[in-house]
Amino acid sequence: MNTIDPRIHQALDGDLPLEGVPAELRPVVRRIAAAADLLAAVGPAVSLESRVMAEIRRPAPSRSRRLTRWLASPHAITFRIRPAWSLALATAAAVLMLFVARGGGPELSEHEGLAQFVGRFPDAQSVHVVGSFNDWRPRSLPLEDQNHDGVWRTTVVLPAGIYEYMFVVDGERWVTDHLAERLVADEFGRENSVVIVRPVRR
Amino acid sequence: MKLSVALLALLAGPLAAQSARARLEGRLPSAAIPAVDSLVQLAFQEGLPTEPLIQKALEGGAKQVTGPRIVAAVQVSLAQLRDARALLARAGDRPPPLPSEVTTVAWALRRGLPAPVVERVVAALPHAPRAAAMHAIADLVAHHFDPDSAAGLIIDAVHHGLQRERLLDVSTAALHELQRGHTQAEAIGLVRQALPNVPGPPKPTRGTVAGARRPGAAASP
Repeated sequence: MNTIDPRIHQALDGDLPLEGVPAELRPVVRRIAAAADLLAAVGPAVSLESRVMAEIRRPAPSRSRRLTRWLASPHAITFRIRPAWSLALATAAAVLMLFVARGGGPELSEHEGLAQFVGRFPDAQSVHVVGSFNDWRPRSLPLEDQNHDGVWRTTVVLPAGIYEYMFVVDGERWVTDHLAERLVADEFGRENSVVIVRPVRR
Repeated sequence: MKLSVALLALLAGPLAAQSARARLEGRLPSAAIPAVDSLVQLAFQEGLPTEPLIQKALEGGAKQVTGPRIVAAVQVSLAQLRDARALLARAGDRPPPLPSEVTTVAWALRRGLPAPVVERVVAALPHAPRAAAMHAIADLVAHHFDPDSAAGLIIDAVHHGLQRERLLDVSTAALHELQRGHTQAEAIGLVRQALPNVPGPPKPTRGTVAGARRPGAAASP
């Protein structure tokens, strides 16, 4: 254990003049005195406790500030995936992509097309389209009033060709589609509408 | 070989009759079925298409028309098919005419095309199918275009390389010119100048295709 010469203590305490200290000890006395002066100039030391309490008393940062700080600061993200799960995820993603690319709905062959039927029947409870494309079966192809605005519609996939049809409202009232571009006498005293289905390539 | 062909021909008639009768059973008054069935048989024996007759009978049954009116309507349809076949022969189509072409010509006559115009189109377009051409002309005639001018425009379109459903775009283009305020003659002139560049129909949207469904039974007439 090092001990300090008692004459240095006495010189620092002012009990012994500097000249009374041996010459080899005087630089040590001077350095210690200078260090003591420097510590006195810094002021009183801040304790750990007071620093912690100050941090606690400071108001918490807002949520947006914390989010900004979180976004700005770097983070390490680690994925741990089992190979079987990753394969299943990749398959699901591929199926989803295929579905989105196709747009859903039925697949049309090159000899098929779409026929859209639209009619306005505000008071109808049901509307069906009946024609040569469904062997004139009265209840096989319903239209829908999805918006409840009295406009009934459906879209049907049919082989390309020419078809005659009529609407059947509430199961009993046969109505010609006068929005159709083509009409033809039905030999029963009424007119059938005519739809020409063109092949559609998607 | 000849024997098997003869046997097939002998069997085809009764089989066709059976299938027609099966489709008619329960769909029209039972008293009308034998008469309709005999008309279908007759058409088959004459080499005419039978599907338009069956469709007409089914239509009458669905509309709850009386049996005699259904039979009368089927007789009218049979007469139209015979007229159509005769017209095809007059226009120079090689016998026997294709059933689809007989049906097409019968359609054209039903839609009000004058027989001489139909003959002219058949002669000018020797290669089937002519259905789209006939309907394109009929569409124009329905909007008071001169039948001869309308037929001339569609025949020109064929000579410019347009075929099948693209011919419907020609009549649509002429009708658009009419809507823009031109006279029928001006509309035909404008479209003829533009041939073969007539706009096609808009492609169906993805949503339209996605919402489409298939009917239970589909039979093109």
